[in-house]
Amino acid sequence: MIDIIQIIIESPFLQRAILGALLIAIVAAASGTFLVFRGLSFMASGVAHAALGGTALGIFLQDSGLVPWFDPILGALLFSVLVAAFTGYAGESGITQKMEVAVGVSFALSMSFAVFLMYYIPPYRVPQIWGYLIGDILLLNDLDIIMLGSTTLLLAVITLMFNKEFVYVSVDMEGSTAHGMNARAYHYLMLIVSALAIALATKAVGAILVYAIMVAPAAASNELVKSVRGVIFSVFLIALIAELAGIATSFVVFVSPSAIAGILAALSYILALQIKRLKEKVDVDIDDPALYPDDLKVTWIQSLSHEHEDEHEH
Amino acid sequence: MAATTPLLQVRDLAVRYSNGDLALHHVSFEIKSPSFMAIIGPNGSGKSTLVKTSLGLIKPSRGTIKVMGYDSQKKSGKIRKLVRYVPQRDRIDLAIPMKVKDIVLMGRLLKKLPPRFATSKDIAIAKDALQQVNMEELWERPFPELSGGQRQRVLVARALASEGSILVLDEPLAGTDVESQNLIVEALGRYHKENDVSIIMVTHDLNPIHTLVEDVLLLKNTVIGLGEPCSIMDPELIKKVYGPTARIVEHSGHRYCMTHDSGIDRHD
Repeated sequence: MIDIIQIIIESPFLQRAILGALLIAIVAAASGTFLVFRGLSFMASGVAHAALGGTALGIFLQDSGLVPWFDPILGALLFSVLVAAFTGYAGESGITQKMEVAVGVSFALSMSFAVFLMYYIPPYRVPQIWGYLIGDILLLNDLDIIMLGSTTLLLAVITLMFNKEFVYVSVDMEGSTAHGMNARAYHYLMLIVSALAIALATKAVGAILVYAIMVAPAAASNELVKSVRGVIFSVFLIALIAELAGIATSFVVFVSPSAIAGILAALSYILALQIKRLKEKVDVDIDDPALYPDDLKVTWIQSLSHEHEDEHEH
Repeated sequence: MAATTPLLQVRDLAVRYSNGDLALHHVSFEIKSPSFMAIIGPNGSGKSTLVKTSLGLIKPSRGTIKVMGYDSQKKSGKIRKLVRYVPQRDRIDLAIPMKVKDIVLMGRLLKKLPPRFATSKDIAIAKDALQQVNMEELWERPFPELSGGQRQRVLVARALASEGSILVLDEPLAGTDVESQNLIVEALGRYHKENDVSIIMVTHDLNPIHTLVEDVLLLKNTVIGLGEPCSIMDPELIKKVYGPTARIVEHSGHRYCMTHDSGIDRHD
């Protein structure tokens, strides 16, 4: 134990990695939870790829000398906000499917835009565009931590203040509006702040870790935990444990910490599904007769015997 | 003010569905306040559209609708302060782990400003509202695990717990068993009698609330009839709306309507 603390104290990159893990876990708890509530788990990857288009735009504007001060990260943030606004616009009536479609369309649009701009960017800068998706939690620098930290703080404060509103918008948008809440404003606020956090997290720790940590722990918790607060807390724990386990493993075995964290997070969802299945099985055993009325059983047996007849014919 | 200002004042209203079809046309009527009113008509007759327009959730393509004198478009904020709304049950997303208490407290907290903390008074009122629909024991239960009828009762309790002089309920009796229906109808009737509130209820079936309602609006994309329940239960009017198979049955001094129609309208 003392050895581990010694190592952490002596290596600043490890301190940054652990801090980064903590921040990403907060982002997952504050933002991933609500995206999964709204059925928008696809948005994490949609926003990250949209940011790719923004990075391409930033590099193009810088390189062509049109807007020299335009840092590629500004482009990434701009595009992620645009995706959130577009998604929000499509889902103003509160229908999730429409928002998923909007995410898909903006994903395709900004990737096409990125590829389009690649022809006008000097070849040596093209890897920088793709580099946006490839971060590593062990390679975080101070600027990454400051940017990620401030966005996480913003996200955490907004979620603490307005978590009830975000829940109400997800549960009953129409009813919330009719009772006088400005549901539309909270709907946009939630999507835009989430998108900003996703975009910066992707830049800092890489796309794979963000997808895995944003979606899987929230999906896993939502299967098993029966209260909103419980889900938020459980997401934070699963995300943090997965990330720390990833970092720890990378010291023992030659492996990317993000990969381990991603695999663990995904496993948590599979495990949750299995636990839920087992629980349901116990419930079904109890009400067995009610679930299988006699006529259903007969049809089932009939269909089985038909299958056997078919086999004989062949 | 309540004695003079009408609850609903509709002038030459026309509204379209989002697909462009005409949901309502040439709708003009007035309802006094306070009232327990029912809006009836078959599926697709524009009942839900009418109440959503009155709350400013849908923009009319022509005409105006005023609630307690406030225009639905220009003064929707004022209207929404007065209104407690129960949407159709399938509008409630069940993917969020809400407990019964969270749903009922929504009625109170939505009328507050952020951070919307629930005081002990809010909790007492919410529990009392649940008691009125005989659900107080399910306070801690997950809302998505309830049956359809139980969920509907919780939503009615949400409206009872809230504040505002107008309750608007969209198909609160659709797909509920007799027990839930009776509990909801009794609770609403009692609440209307004991408090100075108006109730606007959209329903495809007038029979369960027949003896309670004061005004009935019979709708089939435009106003077919408006009046007391028994005067609306006119064979000619009912056939006009529900088709030739509709029958009127007289029982213990009241007229009841029998149709093949049931279920919830859906227009997305």
